[in-house]
Amino acid sequence: MTETMNFDEIISSRSVTGQTLKELGDQYPNLWAITPDIGATLVEFREAFPDRFVDVGLSEQVSVSLASGLAYEGNIVVVSGMLPFLSMRALEQVRSDVCYPNLPVRIIGTHGGLQGNGGSTHYAVEDLGLMSSLVNMTVVSISDPNMVNEVLKQSMSYPGPMYIRTGVGKKDTVVYDFEQRQIQIGKAIVAREGEDITLFTHGEMLVQSIQAARQLEKEGISVRVVDMFTIKPIDVEMIRRCATETGKFVVLEDHLKMSGLAQAISNVLADEGIHLNFFKRLGIPQVYAGFGEDEDLRNKHGYGMQDTLVALREAAAAH
Amino acid sequence: MTTTTIRRPDVSVEELEDLSYELKVKLLKLCGSYSGSVHIGGDLSVADMFTALFQYGMRVDPSDIANPERDRFVLSKGHAAVAMYIAMSIRGFFDYDEIVRTYGQLDSAYGMHPCKVQLPGVEASTGSLGHGMPIATGMALHGKQAGADHRVFTIVGDGETGEGSIWEAALAARSNELGNLVVLVDRNHQLMTSMSEDRVVLEPYVEKWAAFGWNVMEIDGHNMSELVGAIDALPPADSNRPTAIICHTVKGKGVDFMEKNIGWHAGSLSQADLERALASLAASRKES
Repeated sequence: MTETMNFDEIISSRSVTGQTLKELGDQYPNLWAITPDIGATLVEFREAFPDRFVDVGLSEQVSVSLASGLAYEGNIVVVSGMLPFLSMRALEQVRSDVCYPNLPVRIIGTHGGLQGNGGSTHYAVEDLGLMSSLVNMTVVSISDPNMVNEVLKQSMSYPGPMYIRTGVGKKDTVVYDFEQRQIQIGKAIVAREGEDITLFTHGEMLVQSIQAARQLEKEGISVRVVDMFTIKPIDVEMIRRCATETGKFVVLEDHLKMSGLAQAISNVLADEGIHLNFFKRLGIPQVYAGFGEDEDLRNKHGYGMQDTLVALREAAAAH
Repeated sequence: MTTTTIRRPDVSVEELEDLSYELKVKLLKLCGSYSGSVHIGGDLSVADMFTALFQYGMRVDPSDIANPERDRFVLSKGHAAVAMYIAMSIRGFFDYDEIVRTYGQLDSAYGMHPCKVQLPGVEASTGSLGHGMPIATGMALHGKQAGADHRVFTIVGDGETGEGSIWEAALAARSNELGNLVVLVDRNHQLMTSMSEDRVVLEPYVEKWAAFGWNVMEIDGHNMSELVGAIDALPPADSNRPTAIICHTVKGKGVDFMEKNIGWHAGSLSQADLERALASLAASRKES
């Protein structure tokens, strides 16, 4: 599919989440929402379905265990909050209370990556690695605010647990036209066709990826951008195909580069015995990143726009 | 909503005492037949509580385990799984001989901590401490929202209440007015490696639960009349305060060399130890 996106429209993934949950609450009388004091996203749901909404206050662990108890009773439960805390403070609850019994709990939240300038206590940069390592867990990273709608709708008929990552979620760039494009959890999206190099990405890095690909096209370098919005289960077929067709991979993500998408792709390369001509990870190194605006942090830590262009040029020159 | 399909057993305190003795004997025999470690101290601590729940207090139907009108039980103190399996077998859920034959073996449904995937008769997969009561709280939320009149029971170890998630759940249960939630606390004053108050001061304990806004009862957790009395005194499920029944107990209760003995948090019994334990249990029954 050819590139269909423009970046003119900015909306908030939080508002999409709120609207979608309200719609789904109408359709699914067994849908609940729980939040540990981060309930602004859930206002519409709360007002429409006050008896299926619980704000537990500052207690991430019990937000997940309550979701487990509700799910054991046949409910689908969305836990909404800040991902650094839901993915780490409540990690054992997610593992033992939700994943072990394979219950339909959806953990959705904000602050995936170095987002929001909260400092290193407030960034979810290990979350995809932690969640991907849990048995039964499906892991999704939202790259377009309207994708929340598609993913949540599909998740209603998904049997087990799901982790859904967004960025700050206030000003998100619309990339896809979902009237033209169908997506499916577990299947990667070819966001932009290209022949020389595949740039794998997810989440908020999709926009930078497409911009980099557009720029390099002017230099005669053809970059395919693959939005691997489902980190787990990963689309092995897409990785195989891109290895055959382009032979060179760059992975760009707003996550520790040791344990996110790049790690997941590396696992596939190793397991499948796939040899590439070039492979490079762009993401957060093993540092606590500190304060700063999103773009400044990405530049400082080696995965900003310039770093992406340099890596892709390096890939183009490799044999 | 009035429950008509599941009734509580019609049973006397004396019959319950007999059933509790049966549970303890079966516990010891399982411990004697299994070469690995069994949490026998904590199992004996809660044996009377389990008998009061499964043979008297709870409306459950072993022939219809998913009946929506049933009372739910979640074992928060997951390492007392053996006592739960046997209590449930006495009520007719499982076959005791099957438990003994397969316990801890490859592909068995019965092991150290309850797993709902392997054993659908239990309500939740638990084991890691501080999880079961919060899960039970979620189940109680469902019951309240559904307007159901069943209760959700859970047994929590006193040591387990060192976990912060227990108190998060206590806040959530009170805040959401879950009068259908009943927590029985096994107050045996022992952790795995110490007498609890030596390491962690829990007292004043009853006051802690009361301060969280709970309806609190305090009983002898080995006195069947008091256990039955506490269950009979539970507020209606549609009331607005959760109930904590603080059950004063003794770890290893009924077996003289295990009682209040740190060495018997868990273990296995040789044939000689088993005979000694059964004799002690029989003697302590006569005394009481």
